[in-house]
Amino acid sequence: MNLNNCHNFSDFKKLAKKKLPSPIFHYIDGAADDEITYGRNTSAFNDVDLVPNVLRGVENVDLSTTIFGKKLDLPFYLAPTALQRLFHYDGERAVGKAAQKFNTMFGVSALATVSVEEISSMIDTPKMFQFYFHKDRGLNDSCLERAKAAKFDVMALTVDTITGGNRERDLRTGFTSPPKLTLSSLFSFATKPMWGINYLTKGKFELPHLQDYVKEGTDTNTSIGQYFSTMLDQSMNWKDAEKLCSQWGGHFALKGIMSVEDAKRAVDIGCTGIMVSNHGGRQLDGSRAPFDQLAEIIDAVGDKLDVICEGGFQRGTHMLKALSLGAKACSGGRLYLYALAAGGQEGVERAIEKYKAELVRDMKLMGCTKISELNRNNLRFRR
Amino acid sequence: MNLKDCHNFSDFRKLAKKKLPSPIFHYIDGGADDEITLRRNTESFNECDLLPNILASVGKPDLSTTLFGKKIEMPIFLSPSAMQRLYHHEGDLASARAAEKFGTFYSMSTMANNTIEEVSNVSNGPKLFQLYVHKDKSITDDLIDRSRISGFDAMCLTVDTLVAGNREKDHRTGFTTPPRLTLQSLISFAMCPEWVFNYFTHKKFELSNVAKKTDKGTNISKSVIEYINEQYDPAMNWKDAEYCVKKWNGPFALKGVMSVEDAKRAIDIGCTAIMISNHGGRQLDGSRSPFDQVKAISDAVGDKLEIILDGGIRRGTHVLKALAAGATACSFGKMFLFALSSGGQHGVERLLQNMHDEINRNMILMGCKNLKELDATKLIYRK
Repeated sequence: MNLNNCHNFSDFKKLAKKKLPSPIFHYIDGAADDEITYGRNTSAFNDVDLVPNVLRGVENVDLSTTIFGKKLDLPFYLAPTALQRLFHYDGERAVGKAAQKFNTMFGVSALATVSVEEISSMIDTPKMFQFYFHKDRGLNDSCLERAKAAKFDVMALTVDTITGGNRERDLRTGFTSPPKLTLSSLFSFATKPMWGINYLTKGKFELPHLQDYVKEGTDTNTSIGQYFSTMLDQSMNWKDAEKLCSQWGGHFALKGIMSVEDAKRAVDIGCTGIMVSNHGGRQLDGSRAPFDQLAEIIDAVGDKLDVICEGGFQRGTHMLKALSLGAKACSGGRLYLYALAAGGQEGVERAIEKYKAELVRDMKLMGCTKISELNRNNLRFRR
Repeated sequence: MNLKDCHNFSDFRKLAKKKLPSPIFHYIDGGADDEITLRRNTESFNECDLLPNILASVGKPDLSTTLFGKKIEMPIFLSPSAMQRLYHHEGDLASARAAEKFGTFYSMSTMANNTIEEVSNVSNGPKLFQLYVHKDKSITDDLIDRSRISGFDAMCLTVDTLVAGNREKDHRTGFTTPPRLTLQSLISFAMCPEWVFNYFTHKKFELSNVAKKTDKGTNISKSVIEYINEQYDPAMNWKDAEYCVKKWNGPFALKGVMSVEDAKRAIDIGCTAIMISNHGGRQLDGSRSPFDQVKAISDAVGDKLEIILDGGIRRGTHVLKALAAGATACSFGKMFLFALSSGGQHGVERLLQNMHDEINRNMILMGCKNLKELDATKLIYRK
């Protein structure tokens, strides 16, 4: 199996599983507790059906959308995700270049393995920095200043990781950052020698936004759940978010909003966007799927800020359904991470190309030529 | 595999399966008929979703609540379960000590292998006694009197075992109390020498609370089905229940209430609580699951008595959902019995610690400071 055999989400996943040591694959693929929410994030799309219109003259389809004042050529973007150089030695460099090629937004995590400075010197397309509110205020200020100096377009504050989720696959595999060889994981690393050679020869593993302030994650092995629980400030409240929003002074989003009430408060503190998200099912298992909750939130605040649906997307039609409900854009992590692991920049480009082709085909089949033509009349919810 | 590898229900179940002779494992694990209700008890939690609030600066959430007039440190406790000495030689003493350590209720079954007096000597924690109404009324009176003298805090009367359920696994394995060696079970006992050694080198197996009144189940091997059908009074009615409530004259629950109508009658006869339960799916297969029914009962009588959801609980999020739907607390049998089988008192303590950590983590992720904040707005039922 190679990249040419990858036609959809699960193909990329299968290839990623072949290429990655198992603790790393399961870090991407796993979620909290029984992974009920992880499953629901995708199966939610199957409780609603698309209703196409015919004979509309659809030879040219325009997939562009505008979020945070930036025009993107695609109605989906690459959500910020941590530790990308563990998945492929090029990490963020590969993902950023692929995003630029398709002119869509690239999200860079605070736990990224390539610096904002390097990324901004590399690509000039829209960029989002994802921010975790640490106990160390010096670290917080430094992140904001560096992202601003590097001309990032959007700041997204993650609000659903106030404590670490119970990712049981990580407990079993012993996944940490940086990876730690244990007796039980030795075999899985030994059977993926290419990964090991690349990891050891393509430059030191770093967390450039954090390592001047904290040892955890670079010099000290830590699990991600542990990192959230010990390094992030659990007392974070609306005042802190409001302060960060004005300190940033540009497009600011809260990532991980699920209730209408919280969406309204995001408007009040000056946010220009929100990501309806449950962190890919990796935090609170049994919590609601973004797509299930999307309509309510759009009805309440859709005219006041950009509502982005994040999580569960594996198909172009999933995106059409979210966009029909009124989402301004869709985003996902696993959406491109398996592809990154499967084939670096080329893999991510192939994945984006596949989703784009699906969207174009499905828009035509729906009888739509612009994203703005999608609306709730296109959808029927089953009872 | 050992206790350290047990992170959740299915881990404990797996370890218990390794440690127990198969007739005993299947006695815990089995349900009635096709086990449809047994499965539904847990699956029903997956048809609704939790809705978290963010930036709530939760700090350390307060997990305590009041049940049967006692403050307990978390909203879960151990359901009364028969014959714990079969699962681990420490039997009820292990469960009682573990529950005390975590500041919550231990419950004693009429069919326990330790006496009321023995347990009250080893535990100062909150204690619930579970009563079966025997054909011989003097047994019932004796149990109530002794529980009072020994300082038990509450009493519950089981009302869903007028006749024994059809537990087909027990037919197949030939499970009896005390265990009887048959040709077919010989191998499974022989494969668990540690269990056999402990069984014969520790205190003699007896149904301690009733051993003086009947030889059945202690010196004469009986299947649980035979025991229930011979000893318990199938003519038990509301008057008998009221008699027990009056005689006990303290916090009192009916265990096994499923209809709103019966819940209302429980108030009329002076109960302070009900346990919504189908006996862990071990009695009437095809009957409704506690979680499916809890909201209707809570809406009708939630302000007049305490509602305990018994059955199907495997996760902290299940507890959160039950409370949001109107339960005061939750109890479970199988889960702690597997933990008891896996490692005695240590096993039960590890389970209670896991559950505590899950509830605590999930309260933080929900943005809730105390259990009162888990109200109906936090739970959304899918169409």
